[in-house]
Amino acid sequence: MSETTPIIEMQNIKKNFGGVQALQGVDLVLHHNEVLGLVGDNAAGKSTLMKILSGAYIPDEGEIFIEGKKAHIANPWNARQQGIEMVYQDLALADNLDVAANVFMGREAASVKLGPISIMDEHYMGQETQRLLNRLKIDISSVRLKVESLSGGQRQAVAIARATAFNNKVTIMDEPTAALSVAAIDKVLDLVRELKAQGSSIIIISHRLEDIYKVSDRMMVLRHGRKVCDTPVAGNIDDFRERVVAYIVGARDDFAEGVGKQQ
Amino acid sequence: MSTKRFKTSFMKDVSKTLRQNIRDWGMYIALLTIMAIFTITTKGVFISSRNIGNLIDQTGYIAVLAVGMTLVIVIRDIDLSVGFLAGFLGAVAAISMVSWHLPVYASIPVVLGLGVLAGLLTGFLVAQMKIPAFVATLAGWLGYRGALQLATMSRGTIIIPSDAFNAIGNGYIPDIPGIGILPGVHKLTLILGVVAIALFIISAINNRRKMRAYDSKVLAMHLFIIELVFVSALVGAITWVLAGYRGLSWTGVVVLIVVIFYNFVMSRTVLGRHIYAVGGNPEAAELSGISVKKVTYVVFASMGLLAALSGILFASRFKSATTTAGTLFELDAIAAAFVGGASPSGGVGKVTGSIVGAFVMMSLTSGMNLMGIDISYQYIVKALVLAGAVIFDIAARNRARE
Ligand SMILES: Nc1ncnc2c1ncn2[C@@H]1O[C@H](COP(=O)(O)OP(=O)(O)OP(=O)(O)O)[C@@H](O)[C@H]1O
Ligand SMILES: [Mg+2]
Repeated sequence: MSETTPIIEMQNIKKNFGGVQALQGVDLVLHHNEVLGLVGDNAAGKSTLMKILSGAYIPDEGEIFIEGKKAHIANPWNARQQGIEMVYQDLALADNLDVAANVFMGREAASVKLGPISIMDEHYMGQETQRLLNRLKIDISSVRLKVESLSGGQRQAVAIARATAFNNKVTIMDEPTAALSVAAIDKVLDLVRELKAQGSSIIIISHRLEDIYKVSDRMMVLRHGRKVCDTPVAGNIDDFRERVVAYIVGARDDFAEGVGKQQ
Repeated sequence: MSTKRFKTSFMKDVSKTLRQNIRDWGMYIALLTIMAIFTITTKGVFISSRNIGNLIDQTGYIAVLAVGMTLVIVIRDIDLSVGFLAGFLGAVAAISMVSWHLPVYASIPVVLGLGVLAGLLTGFLVAQMKIPAFVATLAGWLGYRGALQLATMSRGTIIIPSDAFNAIGNGYIPDIPGIGILPGVHKLTLILGVVAIALFIISAINNRRKMRAYDSKVLAMHLFIIELVFVSALVGAITWVLAGYRGLSWTGVVVLIVVIFYNFVMSRTVLGRHIYAVGGNPEAAELSGISVKKVTYVVFASMGLLAALSGILFASRFKSATTTAGTLFELDAIAAAFVGGASPSGGVGKVTGSIVGAFVMMSLTSGMNLMGIDISYQYIVKALVLAGAVIFDIAARNRARE
């Protein structure tokens, strides 16, 4: 595996929902230790593309390669096992469970295994969750609080904590800054930088272009289920915004395949 | 001055803890209140060893169903078929011993196995065919009712001749012979009670110590002691009352094993956590890699197993299988679960709560029977208790959310 092999490569991904062509042959490349911003208008297909990568949806057509090897992602469990974690747009938390239980949902730590029955190691999970919250500088008074009693920002933080708890290779964040205060947004962006510094590769979806501009190395625009732009993040923010918005709303449509690959 | 400050902070702790866990504590307080009222109105007959012993045996076959139903309700489903399934499997147990001449130790596993199969069938309809559980199990309700009538058609009532089998619903654990002290008291029951209290205290203290390592919000010391004393006193009182008659019944043993096992699975194991996760948010559970399908299968299979157990307990208690066995059991079990704090919207409900719920309902029956209250009023009182419990739930939950 050389450094130039992308960590993720999605080729010609197509997905229909009934009559809706959500994705019409999209390619995506994510390099090692890169932050990729994914933008586009509502219903452009951003979440659908990422849910295919995280195993939540099966594509109708197309292939996925992880570190150059063809990957079979049939369900979310497959994706998690291959080091892909996603923070979903609706957060996907279980309100009836506490913070630690949500962070470890689906991969509970077991202390003893007796056939089909595994006894949970609650203390380990509690301590790990506390450590994680400290590392992410998340302010939640107890890991035993039920998620239903948390604020919007705290819920967001729990979802992010879950996605970054297991030394994964790729973290996908679907609008992690939606519904957050300015201070909380900065925290999330700091966290993205921190994860990158630790060697992670990240895809971040946002409607806030300044967020993408601040943390991303490269940016990709989807429109009506097609990739219409793929460009390094560079230049000053006003020019950047103007150019990107033109692609998002369809005022420009001159994207040539290969621009993104020059990087 | 300082004691006064201690007192106010103490009261604040108590009221805060009560508010946060009002449902759990409210259940026990309600049960104790009901028992106290009946003890007074029946001049002590209600709390007599004999009556409490009977109460436990009568509650047994509903209690095990309520345990299984708790899991079903937690994953947002319902199972209407288990009453007649229990009745039908009780009849199968009777037939297996009477007509097929199976010994008890073969008959019981066969019936339990059939229960699991029936549960898997429901699981298949719900998880695989995506039929709403209400409809799928309504079909089961009709089908098992028919099967029960077919099975008992030729003779009406099948008398079960096996003493070993009938002991499950009527017998008591043996006593240790030759101990001179406390004549007339069942010593083994007493010893078991003391051991249970000791184990409870040790594990609670252990747990609290470990939890302090990462969670600052453990229960304050004095409240923790109150909880220990309360639970120990409750277990001690029940033990003492039971030991005063013939001791712990085999039905009591079965119910205890089921409750302890299921409580353990639901609160301490990965499987239990997955069941709560699926109930809380099925989409989130699926996205985090939990198979909702698998959990659904497991929950209905366990429900089938417990329906079989319920059928065995009932047939054994009446030493026979009848055409109407199991009628309305499912609704009693559902009521017990809701009185015990399970939430119709899913994700919430404890095995211990449902057991207490079952005892609340059965205490009402027993107490009102002793008082000679007409059955029609009994139904109305139970209706009010069920509605009251659910209203209380909703109010408590809304307050907690604020
Ligand atoms: N599960 C589904 N069933 C049916 N249609 C779907 C489903 N998921 C997505 N779609 C459709 O696919 C299209 C793309 O949706 P998607 O959620 O990927 O958009 P998005 O770019 O994430 O938008 P937003 O910015 O609003 O989150 C939309 O037309 C949407 O209605
Ligand atoms: Mg989206």
